[in-house]
Amino acid sequence: MCGIAGIHAYLKVAPPVDRAELGRMNDRMAARGPDGSRLWLDAGGRVGFAHRRLAIIDLSEGGTQPKHSADGALTITFNGEIYNYRELRAELQGRGYRFETGSDSEVLLQLYAEYGPAMVGRLRGMFAFGLWDARSRQLLLARDPLGIKPLYWADDGWTLRFASQAKALLAGGAVSADPDPAGIVGFHLLGSVPEPFTVWRAIHALPAGTTLIVDATGPGAPRRYYDVAGALAARSAAPPGDPASARQRLAAAVHESVRYHLVADVPVAVFLSAGLDSGALLGTMAQLGAREVTAVTLAFEEFRGGPLDEAPLAAEVAARYGARHVVRTVDRAEFDRDLPAILDAMDLPTIDGINTWFVAKAAREAGVKVALSGLGADECFGGYPSFTDVPRSVRWLRPFDWLPGVGALARRGAAAAIAAGLKVHPKMAGVLEYGGSWAGAYLLRRSVYMPWELEDLLDPALLDEGMRRLAPLGRIDAVLRGGDALCGFDRVAALETSLYMRNQLLRDADWAGMAHSIEIRVPYVDPFFLAALPPGNVLAAVNAKEAVADIPQPALPPASRGRRKTGFVTPVGRWLSEAAGSSGQTADFSTASRAWALRVWQAGWSGAAAS
Amino acid sequence: MTTRILALVGDCYGARGGIARYNRDLFEALAGAGADILLLPRLGNADGAALPAGVRQQPAVFGRLRYSIGAIWAAWRHRPVDVVFCGHVFMAPLAVLIARLLGARCWLQAHGTDVWGDRRSVVRTAIEAADQVTTVSRATRKALLDWVNLAPERVRVLPNTVGDQFIAGASSRALGDRLALGPGPILLTVGRLAASERYKGHEQVFAALPALRAKHPDLVHAVAGEGDDRGRLEGRAADLAPPGAVRFLGYVPDEDLPDLYRLADLFVMPSSEEGFGIVYLEAAACGLRVVGGAGGGGGDAIPDQRVGVTVDPSDRPALIESIERLLAEGRADPAAVEPYRRQHFAAAAQLLLARLLARPRRMRGAE
Repeated sequence: MCGIAGIHAYLKVAPPVDRAELGRMNDRMAARGPDGSRLWLDAGGRVGFAHRRLAIIDLSEGGTQPKHSADGALTITFNGEIYNYRELRAELQGRGYRFETGSDSEVLLQLYAEYGPAMVGRLRGMFAFGLWDARSRQLLLARDPLGIKPLYWADDGWTLRFASQAKALLAGGAVSADPDPAGIVGFHLLGSVPEPFTVWRAIHALPAGTTLIVDATGPGAPRRYYDVAGALAARSAAPPGDPASARQRLAAAVHESVRYHLVADVPVAVFLSAGLDSGALLGTMAQLGAREVTAVTLAFEEFRGGPLDEAPLAAEVAARYGARHVVRTVDRAEFDRDLPAILDAMDLPTIDGINTWFVAKAAREAGVKVALSGLGADECFGGYPSFTDVPRSVRWLRPFDWLPGVGALARRGAAAAIAAGLKVHPKMAGVLEYGGSWAGAYLLRRSVYMPWELEDLLDPALLDEGMRRLAPLGRIDAVLRGGDALCGFDRVAALETSLYMRNQLLRDADWAGMAHSIEIRVPYVDPFFLAALPPGNVLAAVNAKEAVADIPQPALPPASRGRRKTGFVTPVGRWLSEAAGSSGQTADFSTASRAWALRVWQAGWSGAAAS
Repeated sequence: MTTRILALVGDCYGARGGIARYNRDLFEALAGAGADILLLPRLGNADGAALPAGVRQQPAVFGRLRYSIGAIWAAWRHRPVDVVFCGHVFMAPLAVLIARLLGARCWLQAHGTDVWGDRRSVVRTAIEAADQVTTVSRATRKALLDWVNLAPERVRVLPNTVGDQFIAGASSRALGDRLALGPGPILLTVGRLAASERYKGHEQVFAALPALRAKHPDLVHAVAGEGDDRGRLEGRAADLAPPGAVRFLGYVPDEDLPDLYRLADLFVMPSSEEGFGIVYLEAAACGLRVVGGAGGGGGDAIPDQRVGVTVDPSDRPALIESIERLLAEGRADPAAVEPYRRQHFAAAAQLLLARLLARPRRMRGAE
């Protein structure tokens, strides 16, 4: 885990790295790493790295960073965890490499020495790092395949800067805070800012699954080394097995992934809801021999004793697997108290992350440093309504996609009717215009506001400029480029994994967890795990989202299975809409999120943003 | 194998001005790495100019249509072409067209005022189709990226280089005697006096002179350069400055410039739109401290406090304060200019060419 930052003055005329600027960047990320803080500058002052440490593996001085290779030629500042680092170390030792510490960062250095930038393909874990190679005078930036750990960069044409947080780049003082219309439009459209954009023109997210090499001419093009649709297509190419073997594969994949995600030199806890996905994690942990696991459950004062209260069922699951159960109750007053801190910790505007904020806060209070989360299960097991809605929409409405103009005409009529008082969701006006294509149907499903609605919310010039560069439908389509032959289930899985999970869920898990110095580990978000699962049509056929209950032995209690998925039926939806100034009649998150998006924007970002 | 470059430029050999000089520096650097370069200028006569080995310049063609047809014809005859270089964003659509016709990579150079002035959508689309864009300053790069949809890594900065003749030393007595500027201190501005370039800040300096003369009664502002705005500026000087405080020197030949810099005590040009400001660097290389203008790309030619400062041209008290402070600080440290010397420029230009050649060739209709 931790926070990283760096500055590389790659052009000869650029002034040397300013240690004070690097220090300011690092200080902005204090919560990410309370266990240590270090800066390193090379002798010529052309490159400098910063690191804030949250000690999880090799708690000794051997794990401190920035870390250098024995010959001093390689230096790394690294954020994340490499779960297969022991295997990689053994392999490298077999090739004659010698190791001085038990840290995973040293393994990264040696792996780079052996494989160069291609080493990223060998890593199982979550990571973002900057690696300086003094021999080739190249800086390598890399981010994990699915985008668990964030990495932002800014290049002014002389000097490149990077950091775990966009706000850390601004805090350094040398990066322009001019707004980026594409990111601003993206946020209002989707509720989170789609990579590679941020809301600042000068700051870019390094896309998940890519590397970036900076040489004496500056950064090259980000190079993609992992693509979700391509990986799912490769998975589909394998021969399908029978349903029984599919369930076995599913169970084996979860077991293996959880086993890897337990690698740590501190105890690993779990975020436990009443759902199947987190319960299966706890059960698997117990089955793998983890004892006295701390399980943290979030409960809401408003729901106490009612059908929406997750605590009783979670308690039953915790008891079944011998966990130390911590139930943390949150009420409206605490939400109001925390709201300023929440907005400050939010690195980029987002409509979500509140639940994660509180569960991470609870974990911190319970003395937890690392916790597993069920995040990502819905994306691989088909847990969202989009897995049925989107393919159905495309099947039925495709003809309208072929008739130019008809959809737009229908939308104008419907929007007028909705404005006049027709009681349907305003987005529904766009069903014929957007519903017939994969990208359009997905946008309709996931958008907060639709493009035509933004005309009332944003400055027309900003909207035009933003839409031109964002090109939302083309961007969504690009996700599926590597997977022409995918079944409907896998198409939606690729879209949800590459867009919603990456830009919304994982980014929120990062800032909300890091704000409380909690490392959130996500066993369902792992390319090795994804590859080990049966293909999407088989997962759908065996009803994977329910079959998860049978993965641990003993299986989850029967009450867990009967429970309707609650999703965001938490008071958070109501708080958000009240906090945003609406009447508060509804607890529907989709409607609440529209007002909340505007509130977040006004409170934290409008006027080109507080850092 | 020799890299073959076709270059569409406004002017290059046989022309004056900063952009022509930048182009010559660049092509000399690329030819030095073995490139074969054919230049198609719109202005300038290269007869009698010494061109480096590997560089040829065709006669200038100014008319737009004739130039375009001639360029396409010359490009066709010059095949195979690896790189089409475009020295002015105005010609970007033609350069991109030729690059696509020949399956070559397109390298576009932006200087500053060209980007800020030309906002046609056909130009924007053409810039977005370029394989590599270079700018002279970080400010031009930023202005470009605010306007066009280009991946940030595709826009690189290649700053101007300062000639080897600009070095610190004693000033020539002959020049001092000829100009008879008095005991000083001498503030110097070097730049074209063009009505189209009124952003250079001459008048702001004139307006500061009464206050400066109060402390330095012999202070003189020497204005080097010629142009269609000279008459008007002389009038402004008479209105704003004490009598005799401004001296218009007219056009100063390149060979006299180093001595002129050495003769002065401070270089002052609070320009608001300088694309790069090569004169700042030349002055600093000769040991002069520099007061430049904030805005435009001027900050890139004033690398740090060892050389000088930039001020808001409209902030007169700040301008006066900066001039007085820098006058008191004495000579600049020419070591600060070292990274702008020719060998570093040539190395950077050659790396950019290699970087561009590493990209695949672009074919018609292919993204």
